[in-house]
Amino acid sequence: MGIVGNTTRSPNFRRNRILLTAVLCIYLVYTLVPLFYVVTASTKTNADLFGTFGLWFAGEFNLWQNLVDLFTHQNGVFSRWLGNTFFYSLTSAVGAAIFALLAGYAFAKYEFRGKKLLFALVLGAVMIPQTALVIPLYLMLSKIGLLNTPLAVILPSLVFPPGVFLMRVYVDEAVSNEIIDAGRVDGAGELHILSSLTFRLLMPGFATVFILAFVAAWNNYFLPLVVLSTSENFPVTVGLSIWYASATLGSGGNLLFTVVMTGALVSILPVILAFLIMQRFWQGGLSAGAVKA
Amino acid sequence: MLDAFGPVPLVEFNAVSNTLSGQKPRVIVSKKVAPYVLLLPFLLVFVGFLIVPMGYAFGLSLFKTALVGGTRFVGLENYARAVVDPKFWDGVWLLVRFGLIQMPIMLSLALIFALILDSGMVYARSFFRVSFFLPYAVPAVIATLLWGYLYGPSYGPVAQLATALSLPKPDFFSPGAILGSLANITIWEYTGYNMIIYFAALQAIPGDLEEAAKMDGASALTYALRVKLPMIVPMIVVTVIFSIIGTLQLFSEPYLITNLARSVINSNFTPNYYAYTLAFVAQQYNYSAAISFLLGAVVAVFSYAFMLLANRGGR
Amino acid sequence: MAAAPGGRLPMDSSSQGMGAVPSQFMEQMMKTTLPSALGRVLLNRRRLLQGGVAAGAALALGGPMGRAMAQDKVNLTVWAWTPKTQDMANLFMQKYPHISVTVENVGQGAPHYVKLRNAVTAGTGLPDVALIEFNSISSFKALNALADLGPHIDPAIAEKFIDWTWTSVTEGDKVYGLPWNTGPMALLYRADIFEQYGLTVPETWDDYAEQAIKLAQAAPGKYLADFAVDSGWTAAVLWQAGWRPFKTEGTNIQIRINDEIAKSWANYWQRLIDAKAVDTKPGWTTEWFAALDDGTYSSWVTAAWAPVLMEQSMTKSFGKWRAAPMPQWQPGGKVASNWGGTVFSAFSTSPQLKEAAEFATFMSTDPEAARFWLTDVFLFPVLDELIEDETLMGHPYEFYGGQAVNTIFAEAEAQVDPSFEFAPFQDYVNSQIEDNFAMAVAGNGTLADAFDRVQDAVVIYARDQGYTVT
Repeated sequence: MGIVGNTTRSPNFRRNRILLTAVLCIYLVYTLVPLFYVVTASTKTNADLFGTFGLWFAGEFNLWQNLVDLFTHQNGVFSRWLGNTFFYSLTSAVGAAIFALLAGYAFAKYEFRGKKLLFALVLGAVMIPQTALVIPLYLMLSKIGLLNTPLAVILPSLVFPPGVFLMRVYVDEAVSNEIIDAGRVDGAGELHILSSLTFRLLMPGFATVFILAFVAAWNNYFLPLVVLSTSENFPVTVGLSIWYASATLGSGGNLLFTVVMTGALVSILPVILAFLIMQRFWQGGLSAGAVKA
Repeated sequence: MLDAFGPVPLVEFNAVSNTLSGQKPRVIVSKKVAPYVLLLPFLLVFVGFLIVPMGYAFGLSLFKTALVGGTRFVGLENYARAVVDPKFWDGVWLLVRFGLIQMPIMLSLALIFALILDSGMVYARSFFRVSFFLPYAVPAVIATLLWGYLYGPSYGPVAQLATALSLPKPDFFSPGAILGSLANITIWEYTGYNMIIYFAALQAIPGDLEEAAKMDGASALTYALRVKLPMIVPMIVVTVIFSIIGTLQLFSEPYLITNLARSVINSNFTPNYYAYTLAFVAQQYNYSAAISFLLGAVVAVFSYAFMLLANRGGR
Repeated sequence: MAAAPGGRLPMDSSSQGMGAVPSQFMEQMMKTTLPSALGRVLLNRRRLLQGGVAAGAALALGGPMGRAMAQDKVNLTVWAWTPKTQDMANLFMQKYPHISVTVENVGQGAPHYVKLRNAVTAGTGLPDVALIEFNSISSFKALNALADLGPHIDPAIAEKFIDWTWTSVTEGDKVYGLPWNTGPMALLYRADIFEQYGLTVPETWDDYAEQAIKLAQAAPGKYLADFAVDSGWTAAVLWQAGWRPFKTEGTNIQIRINDEIAKSWANYWQRLIDAKAVDTKPGWTTEWFAALDDGTYSSWVTAAWAPVLMEQSMTKSFGKWRAAPMPQWQPGGKVASNWGGTVFSAFSTSPQLKEAAEFATFMSTDPEAARFWLTDVFLFPVLDELIEDETLMGHPYEFYGGQAVNTIFAEAEAQVDPSFEFAPFQDYVNSQIEDNFAMAVAGNGTLADAFDRVQDAVVIYARDQGYTVT
């Protein structure tokens, strides 16, 4: 990586490096303090959660019990929700990222009739808030018989216009016309140019769109809330917020606030994992340069 | 990157063309048809699950359904009412003020962090990257819960610290503070999101430029600002437009925090909140749809204005 | 089961409409509710260990025979957010083996009603039975969504219910739901704090104000009460004061939100707010519960179900609470009120109203179920028989330091005036009350002004919705 070269080169590099790391550390505190509340809350008993300082652990370490409660409450439906969320997010994100890549590439590298209009339509459609779409979408899904099925969540999530914009700009920047033209001169089909020549260049962009789409689907709340009505089909967001409402608005004491917090903590972990996996693709772009250096 | 990839793909490319001319004749999509083929999958779901429902919603906005008397066609009546509805414009004005605080802070932080991380001049790069991104991974319900606790007027840590130092307790939900409090939540949530977008764009900048710059003895800072930054301007424009859209459509954070800040957040606090209340509380679906489309128009005007500005600045 | 030609169910087909349920909806029901019912029961080891007919039936369903048997079974889907509802549904299934019930919690409050309304608009996706609150009955009636259970129930059960609850769910001989639990109101107060500051338990509202001022003076930072902006609570305490804001007859509606009663009530609280004798923090937050627990607030005029919410987060004050009758506007008066409470209603889209009625009847009137709700879930019953049951009402609660508080709630239940009506668009009224009260509490105008603004907004809204406002 480039870093290696730099270290040996500049005498001031070490000092700057420490300085910049310190800057990032300040923001890191800001980022992590609120999340730390989730961590401490997950380790507390309900009484301690309300009775002790929020940003530190209480005397009694209750994490294990909270996890047990989380995964056994309501016949262990939480693991089902996790599975659902994972399934919905993965399928939506893979589909959305591939569609966005293809569409973004088309917008970036081709001139065709209706291009401006189509792009304006995609941009314009995002400007109208989703609130307007809830009822129409519900009616449509009920007409085609998809209401209360996983497809009711997955199909609308395949539409990820931000991904198209990002990919368009990204392709513009990362793929030079020379590569494409070279392919054409040699008689390769357009799709082959994309799949064999430029796809590797696009991986960092693809990974970015994938992770953004994945998280968007992971945190999707309103759509699944509206179109699903069987708790076996719920994703974590809907399930947890129902539990949260039960915990605060009356549940006869059989559901605890700490369980909800533990659920929130557990539901963030897979996103971290997905992120760590995807970030390898950014480094992939870098190491190609490093080989040469 | 051209240097890095120049020779390699050519080899690959020869291999590809060999197979193409070989035993397996394949359909070669021409340059004319290609964009349509590439766009097809996206357009299918886009039209099916966004344009069609949107058309339906637009249809709704031309009717009026009353509890008594049923549904009738009213043409543009709902729009005529919406354009003079002060509840709508109050919300827009509020968000303009909100956006003027929130967007510059969020986007410049995101940009600075992306440049720092991209420069490779920090320790534990991948740790910072994932940590900064994490808030975006927290569902809005939980995020608001967290901040609700941190802002808590009696038991929140800030209030407790103030008490311990016998300072007056800050009120994060006062009329003067609420925009800042909400801006803080959204900055926390979305800085990492934008940072990732910038970071990926920076990574795509061909590496040979870096070599050239170093030979000139340019410092890392100059290099980042003079060479790299201009190259990702198109991406910055995209994120600003995303942010304009996101800001003017702000809903979840104020909605979820309503219970904590009842005295400053009402049911038409933002235009999207207003549309939600109209549709799901007041059951005025038709008028709600009109408000949504009007908001879309306002977003379009702001975005377009920004694009004009960006173009002019670019020249 | 009647499966008619596909297509959408016309919204106005009310009671005769059940034949028109699209066949795909029925298929959907078979596909989704059955496996979920199985999974639910099979996974619940505790219930299996308890044995009994329900578990047995579930096991029988699990085998290869399950599908065949299921064809003859009626599947009911029920949306309810209350805890342990499935437990009682299992009890129901023991007694009615031909009916299989799946209880789904799809949220409470806004999410629950948003989902119901969407399904009403679409004409599909409604459950057979759902829990709705008393104040939502008229709005679902206005949408023609509720089924008339009259033909499917024994008319004699009307006698079993407390009068006002039965009045609330009926219109002529139409029955739009069966009352399930109520929220008779009382004054909950902290015995320890009252003793410490020498407060007396107020019998009238004037007295209540006096105690509030006395406490605020004696202990700055402590309040007798918090005036949290809450439309449900507002309607409930104004109900006691004699406020009757709506009278709906067909398409005519009388709207008297800002009448004399409302104004004098507003002035009463405005005085206390201005004197800083009550606090004005938002209610229902964790901070607010903590304030009730740590003695910042030492009383709450609330409903019988309140301890459901208070119990789990209140460790310091557990056992220190007591209940007394609601303060009166007239010395020696005997008027109480109701806050909240729910009914089981069936929807006109349900093809199995008979079974839906059987289920609702069971939940409301089965002696074992009704007792369970009270003793295990703090849900106050709606049956005369139970309220007159001295051993049940004499049950001491640890939360109340061993006080047999049900005698007080039972008394209150009998003192609820049945003439109160909610609006057919109560959600809108509530949002207006909350927006405008919040303004007043923040110092923009008075509560009395807020009532005027709500009145104006609601009149405009009602006309817009096609009502003739009188």
